[in-house]
Amino acid sequence: MTDVKALQQERISIYHDVYDDKIPKRVPVNISLPFEVIAQFGGLDLCEAQWNPAIIEEAVDKICQTVYSDVCVFMGSFRYPSFYQILKSQSFQMASNGFIQHPEVTGMLPEDYDYLIEKPYDCLLERVIPRQYKAFNPDDPINCAINFAKSILAFNNDFMQSGMIINKMEEKYGYYPGGLLSGGFTEAPFDFLSDQLRGFKGISMDIRRMPEKVAAACDALYPIVFKMGLPPIISNYTQVFIPLHMPPFMREKDFAKLYWPSFKRLLDEYASMGIHCTIFCEHDWTRYLDYLYELPTDTTLWFEYGDPKLIKEKLGKKHIITGLYPVMNLKTKTKEQCVEEVKRYIDILAPGGKYIFNFDKSPLLFSDIKLECLCAVAETVRDYAVYSNAGETAGMVFNKADYKVEPSRNLESKYYKTWEQYKALNPEVSDFGRPKLQNLEETIFHYLMFLLV
Amino acid sequence: MKNLITVEDLIIKSVEELDEEKVIRLASKALKAGMEPLFLLDLIKEGVKRVGKLYEDQKYFIADLIMAGLIFKEVLELEEMKVQFRRRNSKILGRVIVGTVKGDLHDIGKDIFKGLMEVNGFEAVDLGVDVSKEVFAQGVIKYKPDIVGLSGVLTSTIDSMKEIVDTLVDAGVRNDVKIILGGSHLTKEACDYIGADCYANDASAGVKLCKQMLGKI
Ligand code: B12
Repeated sequence: MTDVKALQQERISIYHDVYDDKIPKRVPVNISLPFEVIAQFGGLDLCEAQWNPAIIEEAVDKICQTVYSDVCVFMGSFRYPSFYQILKSQSFQMASNGFIQHPEVTGMLPEDYDYLIEKPYDCLLERVIPRQYKAFNPDDPINCAINFAKSILAFNNDFMQSGMIINKMEEKYGYYPGGLLSGGFTEAPFDFLSDQLRGFKGISMDIRRMPEKVAAACDALYPIVFKMGLPPIISNYTQVFIPLHMPPFMREKDFAKLYWPSFKRLLDEYASMGIHCTIFCEHDWTRYLDYLYELPTDTTLWFEYGDPKLIKEKLGKKHIITGLYPVMNLKTKTKEQCVEEVKRYIDILAPGGKYIFNFDKSPLLFSDIKLECLCAVAETVRDYAVYSNAGETAGMVFNKADYKVEPSRNLESKYYKTWEQYKALNPEVSDFGRPKLQNLEETIFHYLMFLLV
Repeated sequence: MKNLITVEDLIIKSVEELDEEKVIRLASKALKAGMEPLFLLDLIKEGVKRVGKLYEDQKYFIADLIMAGLIFKEVLELEEMKVQFRRRNSKILGRVIVGTVKGDLHDIGKDIFKGLMEVNGFEAVDLGVDVSKEVFAQGVIKYKPDIVGLSGVLTSTIDSMKEIVDTLVDAGVRNDVKIILGGSHLTKEACDYIGADCYANDASAGVKLCKQMLGKI
């Protein structure tokens, strides 16, 4: 076996051990940097690189040689300008300096609640997407179709290009092929409603003005976010990534009533299928640690703020912890201070296993970090966070059979057809067409919903 | 007389409880019955202050502060308030200009800080979001504030904030003002690096610091 293959084997086994409830040989170093950071590192014009993602490869290769990580240092990107431009997005627009800006735009009005509750998918397609995307205009149907077709072609092209770079690096440097964006992605129903539909301010009002409708809307959106997150392949190692936004800003009473039920159900239903989630607990979740404990065993909890000791104590035996180490340190502290500090985090979080190293959040710009601090921290984790009891059982063990959920309401809409529905309308179609047509149906669903996250 | 006291208390209490409908109903009724707009405004402010207190005590959270801000605005937009009420507050503690710094569009925190400053007796000028160092420098020259508040949540704002402070130094106005930073990611180290006078991770702590800096506590 080549050195690279051997290294990749080691990396696969440390991740798999964590997910299989075993103490790994060492703590996985899960550092991956956003597109913009790496483009700036490579001295590229940000605008050009995002329009033509292939040109970032050289910079990616160089950063992979510079910074140690067990996953590809290049995260890829979620947001390329091509499809947002084609669809005239209101909420994702490229600024003059090349950054994709994300201003807050209200996609759903309070008077849309009833329709959203009755026919969620229809409401999203007929009302919300046209407000967020001016070139998806139902009043101009032919151009609407043309623009939509162009945008999805652009989307496929750009994601393929950056995906190919990631695959290439995984081969070349033997990374663990399970980066953040490699599994499923979705949002909690309440966050889906808050983000691009009602907005942060809108939802804050709705919580007080019409809590019943908010709750009903979360239930209505459930089948959509559930379906959106399903990973293409289910294994003990694929993760559904779910960033969580609103809870730190809510009262616990409102959280318990409006946020938690549909979110908890989502994770339980995934767990009943053997699917694990990585949830990004943005901001400070200290108030909610007891709730988090109730989530399915081996949920990966990525924390931004909070007391590492308390978190480890309360949750470390059941769940996998990651995050917490402040990425800000890499800018404001010296290399020596950064290294000392990361050892402190490791001493608290690593014992007993179920820990993956990551920062509290991703840097936004290359100038947000000092490269030498980043390198030193990554190498310290690799060399310092080594276990002497590898192979032992780590905390509680996941068992799929522990999770039972009533099957959820299906996605029903005139804009989405299961094969059976399609076949009933088009009896002449051969069954040979089934996999292809069904796959296209799913692709369109995923793309349309991606536009709203 | 007894009746009137009850109405005042009720207004304050319904603001505190974020009961929007009740606030508007009571406020309209009180105005029609001849309550002075300025007096009503004081009641609403008192209610919002109590909301701020509940927030400090971790009984209320950001979503509640947003709602309180909204109720405040709605009362100001009542016909009688708009017509009669001209803002001429004699007992202003000081003037602050605030803005979300270059590169950042997050304005929820900034709006909350600004709102709390206002109910605490400051006059606040809002420069908006994605505000450049030039606009801050012009703002300082134009409005002659006592305090400049820089808001931001993105990690990249550390450099934007530093550039703004540096620009104020270059423009020779740095020492005419106090500079306070606000954002959940800020630390003592970041504040020193930027060269501001102080920072806050929280709006009500920020208001206290502002009062302290002007010697009002
Ligand atoms: C809501 C939100 C948004 C909304 C903003 C809506 C709006 N109108 O502001 C939307 C969806 C538009 C948005 C966009 C983006 N966001 Co955003 N967003 C958030 C979120 C969920 C909450 C931020 C917030 O409003 N907090 C509530 C307020 C009240 O808190 P605050 O701002 O800290 O304010 C308090 C104090 O700091 C203080 N304060 C504030 N200002 C001032 C000023 C003074 C002088 C003082 C004294 C005090 C003070 O008072 C406030 C009350 O106590 C955070 C994640 C999180 N959970 O924190 C991410 C987060 C900030 N966003 C993030 C990112 C990356 C983005 C985007 C770049 C995403 C993208 N790639 O598309 C864009 C950026 C657009 C831009 N250029 O700014 C990241 C930043 C990561 C980083 N490295 O910096 C975060 C941290 C999420 C994460 N964990 O990754 N976002």
